[in-house]
Amino acid sequence: MIMIKRSLSAALGSAFLAWSAGAPAVTAIPESKKVELGEVEPFCNSGAPSEWRKAQVLEGVEIRESRLCNPDSPAEIAAFVKGTNNISMQTLMDTNLAADALILSNDMDNDGDPDHYIIKLEVMELNGHSPDFAGVVPSYDIAPGIEPAFWVFAPKTRDMSTRSFASAEANPMLRMPAPAIRVEQGDVVWLVLENTHYFPHSIHLHGVDHPYMDFSGEGNDGVGQTSAMDVMPGQSKTYVIRPRQAGTMYYHCHVQPHTHIPLGLAGMFIVEENRPNNWVQVFNVGAGQVRHPSKAVAEKYDAEYDLHYQSVDKELHKLPQSFNDPRLIARAINQEYDITDATDDYFLLNGRAFPYTLRESMVVVEPNQKVKLRVLNGHTEVISLHTHGHKAVETHYDGVEQRPEGRVRRDVYTLSPAQRLDLELETVDDGLRSFGPGLWMFHDHVERAFTTDGMGEGGSISLIAYKQYLDENGTPQTHGMSLAQYFTKKYWERKISPWQEVFDASLGDPETFVKAEAKPAAAAKPAAPAAEPGPPGNTGRNLFVGLLLGIAGYFAYLNRAKLLETASEWIAAVRNK
Amino acid sequence: MNTKSITTRLSYLCSAGLFAVSVGAAAAEKTEIKEHTRLMDHGDGHLMDMDGGMVMGQNKDKLPGGCGRIAEEAEITVRAGHKYAKDFPGTMYGFSEHEWRFKPCTRLTVHFINEDNVRHQWMMHGLPKYLYDKGMFHLEVTGPAKISGTLILPKEDRTYLVHCDIAQHMEKGMKGELIVGKGSGTFPTIPGVTDAAIPDNYTPGPDGKVQPAVAPPMAAAEKPGESTVKKPEQTAAAPSGSWFSGSLVLGIVLGVFGTPIALRVGRERLSGMTGGDVLAMVGGFLGHMIDITLGLISRLMHSARGKKK
Repeated sequence: MIMIKRSLSAALGSAFLAWSAGAPAVTAIPESKKVELGEVEPFCNSGAPSEWRKAQVLEGVEIRESRLCNPDSPAEIAAFVKGTNNISMQTLMDTNLAADALILSNDMDNDGDPDHYIIKLEVMELNGHSPDFAGVVPSYDIAPGIEPAFWVFAPKTRDMSTRSFASAEANPMLRMPAPAIRVEQGDVVWLVLENTHYFPHSIHLHGVDHPYMDFSGEGNDGVGQTSAMDVMPGQSKTYVIRPRQAGTMYYHCHVQPHTHIPLGLAGMFIVEENRPNNWVQVFNVGAGQVRHPSKAVAEKYDAEYDLHYQSVDKELHKLPQSFNDPRLIARAINQEYDITDATDDYFLLNGRAFPYTLRESMVVVEPNQKVKLRVLNGHTEVISLHTHGHKAVETHYDGVEQRPEGRVRRDVYTLSPAQRLDLELETVDDGLRSFGPGLWMFHDHVERAFTTDGMGEGGSISLIAYKQYLDENGTPQTHGMSLAQYFTKKYWERKISPWQEVFDASLGDPETFVKAEAKPAAAAKPAAPAAEPGPPGNTGRNLFVGLLLGIAGYFAYLNRAKLLETASEWIAAVRNK
Repeated sequence: MNTKSITTRLSYLCSAGLFAVSVGAAAAEKTEIKEHTRLMDHGDGHLMDMDGGMVMGQNKDKLPGGCGRIAEEAEITVRAGHKYAKDFPGTMYGFSEHEWRFKPCTRLTVHFINEDNVRHQWMMHGLPKYLYDKGMFHLEVTGPAKISGTLILPKEDRTYLVHCDIAQHMEKGMKGELIVGKGSGTFPTIPGVTDAAIPDNYTPGPDGKVQPAVAPPMAAAEKPGESTVKKPEQTAAAPSGSWFSGSLVLGIVLGVFGTPIALRVGRERLSGMTGGDVLAMVGGFLGHMIDITLGLISRLMHSARGKKK
């Protein structure tokens, strides 16, 4: 019986459905609505003069060509190679460096290069809080409109932190990540930390040969609990080392390191093999291409790149922006923030997320080259770096050379947090080492790492770019979709469907969502435009107040007799008192 | 190559270095102030030495427009460092003073003593650009050290921002103002002088956690970068300028001369009707309102006087 009932109702139901489908009144389904992209940044807006990209010799320093949109300035490279004490005043003035930022001297072994380095680092906050206005300063975007707070080691600079007084943008020396530092094996290095920040910090030389105590009996390991007192705000400390082993190493702050490392106080530290007349490029600001490779690297490789991967939990990086009082910031970060409940949202290669990585951190190659990639995993978790179209050889782990017969060639390279890996990338088109010229992506293959807060394609994606696919300004001549949407703020605010630009309306957003999405923007308006129409609003109000006063004045004139009477009464009253 | 000699030389260098470090450390303990006096002149009032001492916008003799002569010679010593933040909870760096006042056309020499072991600046903005490159007068030195510079203050009444521009140093206390003549208002967030435009919230939230500082709507709209310069000008203009603005005057004129016209037009239009009575009533009402307002004011005055007594 039940069966019959069911089948009966099913039959009736389907009949009804068939009937209703045939009816002329169809419920309207929302149309797709395209969201305007809004402001689209040009691919390259670095403003770098084209001469900066050319191979050149400045201050006797050979500087390699850089085909990137945002190349390192030749004056800075010259200063980083010769030291601020061995270059002309003109070159020094072309940089933002302090005159005592990098002092190189004492060719003790008479081999033509300096053997004593004084390297000065300051601690800078990027995208910090201001008690005076609701923006961040000095500003540093990792992608359009995304400005998490960072703390970084920076070469000692002079003058303003911003590009100018009218701009809130950080000057080019102040950026993520902390600069890669290069010294020569066996040289005496004084690493001076001048703590310009408002919290204690230190430098721990992870993997770099350094004595636990220096010769004067001071702790040298940068660990407050075991070695040396942290460097307090306004204080400085000199770490003295003479590294005996070469390799790709690491340096980072060891004060509250579970937050200070993710907040940006970490960089690559590379000890270059000893060679005669070996002037190494001490700083590689923003990592990326090394425009003046050391002798040993130049012997074996056609090009060298530093690749520093970092991850960002947006909640942590919001905290320094939420308060001005250092006690409140300290409380929020040290006592309230819980990293065991945290997840990372942004993924950076050399301080930027896609598409900004394409302006600075492409690996530019030509066919039949051998390129050295030094990779540091500064994430809080494992990375699985994948190179499209190439299988590279792992030559060094944590700065230690792997014997040639034990080396592995592969296309996914796994690094745990703080590990370093040296890769030998060959652009030989044999279907193994390379699949031939092109614009080949390379990225961390952990899925969330090629998003920016879950929005793809973002994160630490970059390209192995064959030179023939780049124009004069380092713009990759892509053959796929337009990259315009990635250069808008709206895209990263999740307002633009990734497919609206590439396909017809079939995969755009239904208009109901576009409208629904427009509302919060309107609701948010009172805050922003409230100020902009401030002047006109004031004018209107003033006019109205004036009108009222005028009318009042007229009636006051009409009633002047009464007014005078009242006034005299007043005066009398006051006198009586 | 003689490796032995290399190692000996290396050890010499190390010990020499150590000596230098220990001497440096000893100096730091006594906070012996190093004077930067031998600066190289780069023209345009820009002086520098190789230890990071720097003066920008030095001007000892060029008179600003409108200054017939130097009105007064003045000299100040400003000390800077973490030590000077201790009197102001919630700051980390500070100057020994945060406000200075001078007559227009004063020739001012600033001795800046940085007592920390990092860089600090005494940077003044908004000066006329024809005399001061980028409109700046700027002293910078890594402490413990002293550096001095001289400038001539312009004739106009104006308040100048003085700060250390190293990231977060101004925000965390190294902010002051230099007032020429009557000045032109004041800057927010100067320790001991003015409140923050966006004050911190010291009340724990319902969960016992710190609550973010929230920008008041007006501050929220300000563009970064402009704010520190332009804000004080706006606030300075507020008491005088914006109140007696052109639109206000226009309104008064319209009110005084427009009301009788409007009334006349209204009477003509509504003639024969009870409208005239209505208008008269409105006029009477307004007169009554004026009475009430005046009464209120007199009462307020009485009470105010009463309190004073």
